[in-house]
Amino acid sequence: MTKRVLLHVGTPKTGTSYLQDVLFRNRPVLAEHGILYPAERFDEHFLAALDLMRLPWGGLEVQAVGAWDRLAATVREHDGTAIVSHEILATASRSQADRALRSLGHGSGTEVHLVLSVRDLVRQIPAEWQENLKHRSMLSYATFLEQIRDPAREGRIATWFWGVQEVPEILERWGHDLPPERIHLVTVPPPGGPRDELWQRFSRAFGLDDVALDLEVERVNPSLGVPETALIRRINRAVNGELDSSTYRPLVRELLAHQTLSRRTRSPRLALPPDVHPWARDLQTAWVEEIRARGYDVVGDLDDLTGPPPPERFADPDRPAPRQVANAAVDAIKALLVENARLVTAEQAVRDELDEAYRALERSYLRPTYRWREKTVRRLQEGALGTRLLETYRRARGRSSESA
Amino acid sequence: MSTAEALQPGLRRAWGWYAHLRGGGTTAWAAWTAEAEPSGPYLPGAQQLELLRRLNEAGHPGPRLADRVLTASAPGRGRPDLPLAGTAEQRFGPRPVDPAEVPAEELVRVASSLLAEDTVAAGVPARPGPGRRLPWRTRYRLLGDPWLTEPIREELAARGRPSGDRGAPVLVLGTDVASMVVDVWTARSFSTGAPSWPEWLAGVAERRRPPRRADLVRTARRWADEVGRDRVRIVFDPAALPRLVGVRRGSLPAPPPVSADATDLARRVGAVLGVLVAPERRVELLRHGLLPRVAAVPGPALTMPSDLMPWATEYAGRVRETLVADGYPVVGDPDVLLPRPRAGVEGPRDDAVLALALRLLLEDGNGRTG
Repeated sequence: MTKRVLLHVGTPKTGTSYLQDVLFRNRPVLAEHGILYPAERFDEHFLAALDLMRLPWGGLEVQAVGAWDRLAATVREHDGTAIVSHEILATASRSQADRALRSLGHGSGTEVHLVLSVRDLVRQIPAEWQENLKHRSMLSYATFLEQIRDPAREGRIATWFWGVQEVPEILERWGHDLPPERIHLVTVPPPGGPRDELWQRFSRAFGLDDVALDLEVERVNPSLGVPETALIRRINRAVNGELDSSTYRPLVRELLAHQTLSRRTRSPRLALPPDVHPWARDLQTAWVEEIRARGYDVVGDLDDLTGPPPPERFADPDRPAPRQVANAAVDAIKALLVENARLVTAEQAVRDELDEAYRALERSYLRPTYRWREKTVRRLQEGALGTRLLETYRRARGRSSESA
Repeated sequence: MSTAEALQPGLRRAWGWYAHLRGGGTTAWAAWTAEAEPSGPYLPGAQQLELLRRLNEAGHPGPRLADRVLTASAPGRGRPDLPLAGTAEQRFGPRPVDPAEVPAEELVRVASSLLAEDTVAAGVPARPGPGRRLPWRTRYRLLGDPWLTEPIREELAARGRPSGDRGAPVLVLGTDVASMVVDVWTARSFSTGAPSWPEWLAGVAERRRPPRRADLVRTARRWADEVGRDRVRIVFDPAALPRLVGVRRGSLPAPPPVSADATDLARRVGAVLGVLVAPERRVELLRHGLLPRVAAVPGPALTMPSDLMPWATEYAGRVRETLVADGYPVVGDPDVLLPRPRAGVEGPRDDAVLALALRLLLEDGNGRTG
């Protein structure tokens, strides 16, 4: 029976990919300390979240059937501390949160703690727009901002954004049945601080300070600059009707966005437009007041949520500098050519192997014994007696040789 | 829900309404005044409460179904559980609503999740699997309009005459262009999934081409490369099909008529099934579990909207010319391709989809086992 579960439910764009990769790669070390991170594959908690929330995700959901119940059963069987983490859990409804908590042992003797990592809205808003683009959106920045600022919140963009980013509401949905001391808020430090400060906070929240973890990771979800983001949006417009999700993900999201364009770090960064800044700051202030009043455990500082001031020069991603976009496009073309060259070489190697296999097959067909056996089978199949003889032979062999 | 909140009069009124609905009541939220103490860990959203009220109006859901509705979540992306207007000051979260004003589409979202569970629980009736392949069977490969061809392929496979022998003559079954666009959406709604009808049509209008499986020219050319042009037949006369596939006795099945609203409901239920069961099982449950049930409920057929008919007519003319020019043998009259006015509706209607969902939920709640 697990005594303690640390359930990390978001929010997106707060270093969650880094945290999850550290936990996944260090499972054996964690296990030595009695801490379970139950995952056979990196995205196991993501699939469990899709299953819990019955959320289609570009075809990936077919791999998620039954994933939450399997995860919860593994957690319940563990005698010690278990960690479950995925940021899209932030959007779960009350009934889904209730089901998740109970399936992890809440109400049956297990001490469930809720962890929510949070970052200022000033940085979260552009980051969420960018994330939308990396999931095939073609929406302009202006339209995105207009939709999330509409108080009706009726469209898909707005419902998702507030579902995963409205911190007091997420905590109400997930934490309504938990005492405040079991709800831990990890704030993302403001830009410019020590690089490992966020990890230190995660480590404290998850009780990992005494565990010697390897912090080198493979998976991060890096951000893009203004021209690179604008380029992805144009690419989406061009390829959305051509590429399905199974090819879009590796080619556009991974190869172009994550592995190529994110390396262009000298381009202007995405930011909140100066005229939207006061609205976001006011909202954030109201959230901080509410969170303070509720008395949660804060790892970090709620003042971190104030966010940076507006940039001196705002680079509008809806009107990017053409030269910067062209430079980014050249890098994208280069990456695609290099990848294409790799695939051409790999294809040729496979063709060579296939040709060799065909030649070997032909050689075996040319053997006199093969031709004799083939002729015999054909003759037997022509008559009723022969067919019965063949069936008897095949039954005696214990398997069908029809395909041979 | 903390005790302090529960003491607020608005919330006590909401819990009173909750108890009323759970007991089978039908009074609307706006007319409700009685209060009660909380009787659950949280107050369900306006969608769940209103769905239960509509079920109570439509029949007798019983306590088990009532509890399932109250604890259900709307699946997939969309509006979250909405708070009731007039319960408490709402500083955060979505804007509170009067449940009577929740769009029918949102109620269907919640219902589709429950119907998907019911569909899985009911399973599918036993049916014959593929029969032993008859050695003297006529070889063929049947392609074209998927809604028309799939039941035929399944029936013939059961009779030991499966489609798809390597190198076999290809039969491309088509009908009028407008019906084929409807048919591909219907077939996908009852199998692997489809976007909403308006989104589907927007794609057709933008590309100025029908969906791939309704594109007879593309199909014919693809298979002409494989088996030779003279072995690809375009079939516009379904009555000729038994002879072409070597069936002398018994007719070939046609798909059951299914309404626009039923197809849309299947599409929504199918989306949830995609997360509940493996893809092959999803198709099986939709085709052999849900389809017979919704086909039994009469309703208007889906037709192509009138604003797309000029395109369909022009496109049908081009297809006819291309098929003739390409020189495939044609069985039947190629003028069949031209769209004709058909009775029906130009799109599913949310209120009717909801009414059908309520009916199916009540059937399930009252012991129908599929």
